Amino acid sequence: MISALIKWMQRYEGWVGAGGGLCILAGLYLGLVASPPDYYQGEVVRIMYVHVPLVQTGMLAYSTLFIGSLWYLWKRDPIVDNLCHAAAGISAFFTALGLITGSIWAKPTWNTWWTWDARLVSFAVMFLILVGYLMLRTFVDDPEREARYAAVLAIVGFVDLPIVHFSVEWWRTLHQPLSFSMRGVSMSKPMLIPLGIMTVGFSLTFFYMLMVRTQMLYLDHLLTAKKGRLLSQAHLSSDVGSSPSSLSTP
Amino acid sequence: MTGLYLRWSALVIAAVVIAALASRYFEQNLTSLTPEEIVSLQPTRVVRVIGLVKGGTLRGDLDSGHASFELAGRQEALPVEYDGPPPENLRELKTLVVIGSLDPSSGTFLAHELALVTNYGYVVGAYLIGLLPLAIFLFGMERKVTFLYREIKESKLYEPETAHHVDTR
Repeated sequence: MISALIKWMQRYEGWVGAGGGLCILAGLYLGLVASPPDYYQGEVVRIMYVHVPLVQTGMLAYSTLFIGSLWYLWKRDPIVDNLCHAAAGISAFFTALGLITGSIWAKPTWNTWWTWDARLVSFAVMFLILVGYLMLRTFVDDPEREARYAAVLAIVGFVDLPIVHFSVEWWRTLHQPLSFSMRGVSMSKPMLIPLGIMTVGFSLTFFYMLMVRTQMLYLDHLLTAKKGRLLSQAHLSSDVGSSPSSLSTP
Repeated sequence: MTGLYLRWSALVIAAVVIAALASRYFEQNLTSLTPEEIVSLQPTRVVRVIGLVKGGTLRGDLDSGHASFELAGRQEALPVEYDGPPPENLRELKTLVVIGSLDPSSGTFLAHELALVTNYGYVVGAYLIGLLPLAIFLFGMERKVTFLYREIKESKLYEPETAHHVDTR
């Protein structure tokens, strides 16, 4: 099971990464050069093509973490735990970048870097949940308990995602309402196309990063285990045939 | 490892090309002149002029898209005749960008479009902060995975050299 998933990642990661990179480059060209300025916001609207995909990818990464955590609690497969750990780190990264770029966009449009708005606060809470998740993983010594506690925290924290998404509908906020809803799409085509391409690009980049980071964590654990095993063997052989002083030699 | 560096070099080159294209686009299409520069340079092509709509000078019928006003710079004020779509952002004491051309005979600037003043620093800042850390994070991960695969493959660390060392002593 483990080697099959890693082999699958090795086989497809290049295609996913290349697709993500090409989409981002195309989206950058369309967003920065080809798309028109907004009637009200002017050129500042171009921040949307990087801010919105970052935020959506952060939420996609958290959704992956949620599904992975359920999967882990069901199967107790260590590589799924590695996948969850990787998704959490990447999600925290995208969420932080989404918060910073949103703050930069807020300054010229709302005349403030930050406001206690429902969308902003719920998204910041998501970032704090992810930071808490990553901190929890460093506090618990037993790997099995660490993975279990982290999975439960991720599942409980997932309740924040619908709040983030619907906050602009449920409360009166400064943030613009949903651009994609049951009411339709409230965005012109020349802006929708670069935004869509950038979102696809960031999503593919996330899956690529997930594949790479999962392998990184898996290999790291494998190497640690291997080192430990070899060290034990070395200790065993030194215990059998040598003086005790040699045990301190790494 | 060579493949990793080649891949990332290609990506950096592509990003630099797009940044250069975007920079050229902004230079050509979005650079604004001041009223003083218009008076001294007397440009004949379509240009963008940035300035403040001088108080008490705005006249005309805004709903039908006809207006005249003075656009003030630091020292000079440029008379502007606007004829275009009904402007929502045009009001006195507001800093605006007007797009059009200078009529050299009357010295009046004939504008057909108005635009908001943009601080491009926000756009550049958002893109740099959004994409640079992402690229560095990803490059670091790829590099580490490559090293880990190599280390696992070679895996000389902690091999029973301790036991061998013991025997030789």
